[in-house]
Amino acid sequence: MSARPNLPAPPTFWNGAVRVFSLSLGEMLWSRRTVFLMLVTGMPVFVALVLRLVQSSGITPVRVNSTPVDGASIFGGMIWIFFLRFIVPVLGVFYGTSLMADEVEDRTITYLFTRPIRRGAVLVGKYLAFLVCTTLVVLPSVVLVYFLLVPLSQVARTFVAFAADLGLLALGLAAYGGLFAFVGAALKRPLVSGLVFVFGWEQVALLVPGYLKRFTVAHYVQGLVPHAMPSDGVAAVLQAVLRNNPPAWLCIAALAGIVAVSLWLGVKAVESREYVLDQ
Amino acid sequence: MIVASEHLSKWYGQVSGLNDVTIQVPPGITGLLGPNGAGKSTFMKLITGQLRPSKGQVRVLGEPIWGNPALFQRIGFCPEQDSFYDRMTGREWVTALTGLHGFDEKAAGEAAAKAIAAVELTEAADRKIGSYSKGMRQRIKLAQAIAHEPELLILDEPLSGMDPLMRRRTVKQIKEWARAGTSVLVSSHILHEIEAMTSNIVLINNGRIVAEGDVHHIRDLIDEHPHTVSIRAQQTHAVARELLADEGVVSVRFEPGGLVVETARPDAFYARVTDLAASGRLGPITEITSPDDNLQAVFRYLVKQ
Repeated sequence: MSARPNLPAPPTFWNGAVRVFSLSLGEMLWSRRTVFLMLVTGMPVFVALVLRLVQSSGITPVRVNSTPVDGASIFGGMIWIFFLRFIVPVLGVFYGTSLMADEVEDRTITYLFTRPIRRGAVLVGKYLAFLVCTTLVVLPSVVLVYFLLVPLSQVARTFVAFAADLGLLALGLAAYGGLFAFVGAALKRPLVSGLVFVFGWEQVALLVPGYLKRFTVAHYVQGLVPHAMPSDGVAAVLQAVLRNNPPAWLCIAALAGIVAVSLWLGVKAVESREYVLDQ
Repeated sequence: MIVASEHLSKWYGQVSGLNDVTIQVPPGITGLLGPNGAGKSTFMKLITGQLRPSKGQVRVLGEPIWGNPALFQRIGFCPEQDSFYDRMTGREWVTALTGLHGFDEKAAGEAAAKAIAAVELTEAADRKIGSYSKGMRQRIKLAQAIAHEPELLILDEPLSGMDPLMRRRTVKQIKEWARAGTSVLVSSHILHEIEAMTSNIVLINNGRIVAEGDVHHIRDLIDEHPHTVSIRAQQTHAVARELLADEGVVSVRFEPGGLVVETARPDAFYARVTDLAASGRLGPITEITSPDDNLQAVFRYLVKQ
């Protein structure tokens, strides 16, 4: 073996990130974590199936103040309750905090950090893999729930709202994933910190009147919900609860800002930390 | 110089991993020798940019290594740890890692195939790494280190877990790479492994460089201390009978699945065991390991000097 005279130039930051993405996606998709979280995302499908069966037998499954709630409204409620308030944050915590931690625990990080790519590109590449992987986990579940709950006759009328819901889920995944990618890169016990943030801090901050809720991701995700939900039945009740939401443009800008700042901080953390000390 | 450090120290909190190491490693093959916990791994991690020096500086191929990923285009690293993406095949893994050097998919695949052939794993290349034996995993780690044809190879305990024949072939291969112009820095806690590759060694103990230079005067010291070798074989009693006929063997002790031999003439002994494994006359001999007690005795002697 002699030193190669025509070695290619080392990959740029983005090129390196894309290569790490390709390397990580398969590992992420076939991990035990993904199998487990697919079961979690199967929960709303099961609930939707039960509701559909009840509806098929001629009974109205959900009523608010004796008024029957239609399938589209139930779907809107499930998007909010199951997906945005539970599944999206959970996926963000479990995947985001593990982007670097898994490589450290498995002691495979050495193979990535002894390559001619910036360490930050490793984090970004793995974050991109997280986005694709979690979208592939959530998407089938949402589509199934939609078609189980919304009658075919209402699909044309509600399809735009459905597409907006999908976009909102993707935005939520990106924001929570970015935040917890930073937490995972910077802290030694990222999972615990992530769970405390989602199930402790966010729950409390959203209930307390005042500005504290601005320091949560859920505030901006929830702020987009009424725009994505149908405006009749249960949705109207939910909208009343969420009346003080910031405008949609502010929510989108805030979520995009959370992604950008979190990833930037994550890149900085990865490039300065000595990960082998944790092995 | 391929590696140069000045007053290099690394502390883990209150614990010192490496203490005021000033060293210049010349091109060619250099062996880094020391018992477990001596500071070899810390030194390896510092020269591969995985750790940041607490004090002093380290330069690899003339450049600082911490925060300088571009330098890895010229370096290949085979780490000690036995960890992989087990769901990937050997070929997929080496190709993906080679791709991180900027090769396009086709070029990465070709480079990976060449490296896998060099470590004699072509037949198993399309099997999942999870199904590999320890020796095969060592070889696939070597393949990912050499695939981009680096100027400097840093190998951390590369022969660990290999059977005697594969050790011999790997040592030969490392020497061939060096002859072709690649510098190699190889760590081990077994002097005879290092000695088979090079006479230029650096001895490290308690985080300090104890001695460096030609191996021969260290070798003389080694011979004064009985050398313990652990052998895993199928026909342990037959192997023991055969080895006891060797006049250098001081004692033989049986343990589950193998035997532990003390020898006063390790060189001749290693050659004998390798020949025995190659002949297959007494069944397979799957592993030879040497605990670091041998080295500890020499280090105790050196430190007293």
